[in-house]
Amino acid sequence: MSNLTVHLENTTPEYLEQVRYALPFLSEELVSYEVSESDRKVVVVFRPGTDAEAMRGRVDQLLQRYQQGQFGMKSVLYFDQRHELPVIDAWAGLLERRWAAQVGEGHVILRGPAAQLLALVDHKVISIFAREFGAELELYPSTIKAETLHRCNHFTSFPEHMDFVSHLKQDLNVLSGFSSACRTEGWSPALHEGKMSAHDFAVSPSCCYHAYEGMAGWVLDKPGRCITAILSCHRYEGANHKSLSRLRSFTMREVVWVGQPAWVISARARAEELMQQWAKDWELSCTFESSNDPFFTDDFAVKASFQRKQEAKRELRMDIPFEKNSISVFSSNFHATTFGKAFDITIAGRPAVSGCVAWGCERWVYALLSQFGFEPAKWPVGLKRDYDAFTARDAL
Amino acid sequence: MEVEEITKTLRDYIVKRYAIPASDADFTDDVHLFDYGYVDSFGAVDLVSFVQQAFDVKVSQGDLIAYAMNTINEIATFTSLRQRGEL
Repeated sequence: MSNLTVHLENTTPEYLEQVRYALPFLSEELVSYEVSESDRKVVVVFRPGTDAEAMRGRVDQLLQRYQQGQFGMKSVLYFDQRHELPVIDAWAGLLERRWAAQVGEGHVILRGPAAQLLALVDHKVISIFAREFGAELELYPSTIKAETLHRCNHFTSFPEHMDFVSHLKQDLNVLSGFSSACRTEGWSPALHEGKMSAHDFAVSPSCCYHAYEGMAGWVLDKPGRCITAILSCHRYEGANHKSLSRLRSFTMREVVWVGQPAWVISARARAEELMQQWAKDWELSCTFESSNDPFFTDDFAVKASFQRKQEAKRELRMDIPFEKNSISVFSSNFHATTFGKAFDITIAGRPAVSGCVAWGCERWVYALLSQFGFEPAKWPVGLKRDYDAFTARDAL
Repeated sequence: MEVEEITKTLRDYIVKRYAIPASDADFTDDVHLFDYGYVDSFGAVDLVSFVQQAFDVKVSQGDLIAYAMNTINEIATFTSLRQRGEL
């Protein structure tokens, strides 16, 4: 193996988090990496024969990408509710109880109380948010046209996440040959290499893109439309896949507004208030703060710092004592006219603006069990009340 | 330079640069340029460069965090105060 050490100029926690997230995508030749805050260095280990100078160039490129950006990295803390918590390894506990099973990289099956908790979180969202805003239910396919993602600028922001979808070529020899080889040799990826059609679809990386593509060309009535949907989304995260906190396949519930600016902004603010009330009721140890997306392109500095300046993204982050960290379980987003322009959705003669709030459902399960453990009797009063009522009345 | 003159220069630049039609009733000196989608993240970089060059002022990252600069009037007020050395 070959080692490369690069000095770190910046050691702010936000910067290091971005760098740690991005390093697994450096190269397929990467074997391991370590970011040392105390020694101010990054050490990457890569396969023998790799061009060390080229690798250094890539590391430098990533380190440069995550510098502060044109608009600074404004940080605002809107809500801070911290509690003393026990240290619980929720992932180990889930596996031990068979409430979760890992069936592939970032692919998890939930059962029993873990599945009920996820369903409860979704039930809460519908009860509180969808009803408050009179949201219309929409149901989406699990895949999305690559062309739609291009219109959403997804490829120019998050290319690393893509899980493209394809099928075997419509060719009798290819289909028969594949089937026959599987029967005689057993399946392996090599059997379909070079035999797939164009990758014109992808597994949906986000729920709300479908809302916008479904309204393409619409002229909306004032003040706009509110939609809710739940979808199994996919984001490839390389070596970052972990427990329930970073899955390749996960469940996202969203409430989306498309309409006039003042209406969308006001609805988003009300949703944030409701989320904070919920956090208080369930006694979550959490913060609600400004944030930015982990844009994975060289224009990170412009996009992320502008997003921070405009407070276009805010996140509820729940503490995970076992990881000495926190994870985002809820995000509130404002897109201005990005999607209105991309899909020609207009209102009162102008491109509609949009905003959305989103819940990462598996992350909620993980964070709740990490904070409160596996015995409902010991959970905070509000959470236990809702869980008991849900499992008695509404759960399957 | 008077704040009114800065406002007019800025307005003319934004209208031309972002092709805003005269019929757009939402576009005023007090409209939030970013929330209403007139200017996006890359447009904001361009706008900051224009302000620095056209009015000969420095705009730092700290300024962009500390001062509201979301409307034509807000940007013009900031620029005028900076020119006069009051910011």
